[in-house]
Amino acid sequence: MSQDPLDRFDPTLPRRRFLQAGAAGAFLCTIGGTDVLVSKRGDAVKADAAAAKVKRPKSAEPTEQQTYVTPEPQPGGRKVEYWIQARTVNWSVVPTKRDDWHGMPVPGKSTFKAAVYQLMSPGFAAPLAAPAIPGPTLYAEVGDTLVVHFRNNLKDLKQAVTMHPHGVKYNPEYDGVYIGDYTRAGGFIEPGEEFTYTWECVPESVGAWPYHDHGPNHTLNTFRGMFGSVIVREKDVKGPDVEHVIFFHQLQPPVTGLTRSYQCINGRAYAGNTPTLRAKVGDDVALHCIGMDNNFHDFHIHGHRWKDGSGGFTDNPSVGPNETTTARFVEDNPGRWLYHCHVFAHQDGGMAGWYLVE
Amino acid sequence: MEELALSYRTVTITAVAAAAALAFAPAAGAVTYPPPTKPKGQTGKPKGPHRTLHVCKSKNKVKQKKCFPRITDAVRKANAGDTIKVAHGTYKEAVSIVGAKKRYLRLIGDPKNPEKVKLEGSNKKANGVLVNGADEVTINGFSAKHYKANGFFVTNVKGYTLTNLRASLVGVYGLYAFNSIGGKMTKSIASYTSDSGFYVGQTPPQTKPVRTIIKDVESFGSVLGYSGTNSRYVTITDSKFYNNGAGIVPNSLDTEKYAPNENNVITRNEVFWNNFNYYEGAPFKRGSTSTDGVPFPIGVGILLFGGRNNEVTGNKVYGNYLVGIAGIQAITLAQADAKDLVGNSVTGNEFGLGGADPNGRDLFYDGSGSSNCFQTDGKLFPADGSTFAPCPFTGTNAFNASAQGEVVNWALDPSHEAAWIKGPHVSKPGITPLERYTGGVK
Repeated sequence: MSQDPLDRFDPTLPRRRFLQAGAAGAFLCTIGGTDVLVSKRGDAVKADAAAAKVKRPKSAEPTEQQTYVTPEPQPGGRKVEYWIQARTVNWSVVPTKRDDWHGMPVPGKSTFKAAVYQLMSPGFAAPLAAPAIPGPTLYAEVGDTLVVHFRNNLKDLKQAVTMHPHGVKYNPEYDGVYIGDYTRAGGFIEPGEEFTYTWECVPESVGAWPYHDHGPNHTLNTFRGMFGSVIVREKDVKGPDVEHVIFFHQLQPPVTGLTRSYQCINGRAYAGNTPTLRAKVGDDVALHCIGMDNNFHDFHIHGHRWKDGSGGFTDNPSVGPNETTTARFVEDNPGRWLYHCHVFAHQDGGMAGWYLVE
Repeated sequence: MEELALSYRTVTITAVAAAAALAFAPAAGAVTYPPPTKPKGQTGKPKGPHRTLHVCKSKNKVKQKKCFPRITDAVRKANAGDTIKVAHGTYKEAVSIVGAKKRYLRLIGDPKNPEKVKLEGSNKKANGVLVNGADEVTINGFSAKHYKANGFFVTNVKGYTLTNLRASLVGVYGLYAFNSIGGKMTKSIASYTSDSGFYVGQTPPQTKPVRTIIKDVESFGSVLGYSGTNSRYVTITDSKFYNNGAGIVPNSLDTEKYAPNENNVITRNEVFWNNFNYYEGAPFKRGSTSTDGVPFPIGVGILLFGGRNNEVTGNKVYGNYLVGIAGIQAITLAQADAKDLVGNSVTGNEFGLGGADPNGRDLFYDGSGSSNCFQTDGKLFPADGSTFAPCPFTGTNAFNASAQGEVVNWALDPSHEAAWIKGPHVSKPGITPLERYTGGVK
């Protein structure tokens, strides 16, 4: 569990630790009953060491001894299978070493060891995509079950991890959460192990949602890349012509071991590195923005406006941690556009990209 | 006539049941295997420092002082986590690596030239290397020939690595894992074994399974290319199975615990020319299948003999004269609730190389069980496609007793070839179709 280090009234933090935690990118993890302050470069090792010591929970009682039936698809629905593994990868945050918006170099080292979800072929026979931030987007329709074969292939981070989804329906077995002695099977997948999650796509699941690690070290692992998205559509309804999921998040020195912070979109910082989105006039466009750190962000697309959930128009909605906001519109405005977080410190730190319309 | 036919069918099913049990039997009667125990995996990775021990056959006295003359001697002296490097030569031994004190041992021959580090059984010794109860042992860079039982045999362990190995002319299996959790068999070749080239059997059921990977291997000239009795969580990929009696055969039998086989994935393999009629001669001593008088069908690429939630996808299957991919109820299994095929899928496989190297039939399914689904883009048996439900499918499949009976009768044909539908083969550099053994393999 991660407490908010900026909560000045948090009675569990003495003043000195509060000030430490208030440093850039600091956060407090509670891992297997141990508090670990991750406040400076190198502290991630402490969290990993604590996570490696967490023992597999024994089944608890009494409700935890209940057994749950694996759900089947609704009539006409499908079992939509994915094979996904957790692994580490050397990840470059600014591969071009340049900010294409300002035409400026971005000097300095930006490669760190990320932990990510990777899409694999059946049986984990071969990768179907490069390991990346974010992990694969999972697609399904109402009535389907998402059957996710997950393998912990973190060879160099000796700790249990999971996949915890938002939006879909699941019983406690498939929650993918570590909750100490109450942990169910899917909440503690040790290195080398597999677990098959089955999640139901109910009518209320329609939309774009995140998934992320929710094992013993979930905060650090999520911050260093273990997240992705689930998109559920109405049955037999055509999807948009252009669809992207973009995560707004930070990569901070305590997580990366790098010397500076990066404000990121999908693991990259600065236009030209962050995703360049493309569409044509007349396209039905859906851009899903999800917050994936401790901050609130504003999702701004230049030259465009769309209806928010209340039916009013917006061009700069806010999005909080693990919250989704979707910009859905028919493209009518060709040109080169910026999209970015409108928290100024974020946009100037790299949380910006290009949207190109032909 | 009809009565006679039905009566014959009843008899034949029983007979094939016996034959199948023998064909998949895990062990030769001539050797005694260690009993299965629960793979614990609780001993953990040993802390160093670890040593490297050397084995060599040198006549040079200086070298002799630095190395053990036998692998067995080095294993005795080795501690958990140590490495044993074995020099080129022929070692007439049956190496045993037993117990937790030998866990994480690394037995290294010549990974680039496994044929130069030879284990020779002289048809007297049981196994080239036996690993029993020692987790995460690595065996890399050896060849094993002429063992009464197996080339490389791992049992009662959690994790192993068998890589760059060659096993040939052994009495049962080339590379064999039994009652174990996880493990890898890679970059290895097994040939001319009297049961199967590769075998994974009696995998303990696991809530959070550790997968067994068989990748980048070749298996040819054996009764079966791969056999997996009550195997589970096995991925077989990027490999070639050819010139066997049958190519890849996960199966469910009473001879081992934990029926049925399940959750196996067979993908991205080439499975071709599995028409080796070893009844007409073989370089190995045929096992008890021959004495029973009822053969296992020859000419099959991939056969699911019972099983649940297996996935067969993305393979190239061609030139198998009886059938490319088949699914049939585990008719011999006593455990009634594990006999049927359940939840298996056969999708996205390529058949017959576009007609250049056709299978006799591409797909057979008897329609037993439930929620099994198939691609339907090949030559089907039964030809009306009535048993085949396209993917995805949930529900009871359309069982066809007549089709099942006919396929059983194929197996009973004394020539083993009467139901073959032979076609042309493409030429493949370095590989010749093997239907009848003509000698020369030693």
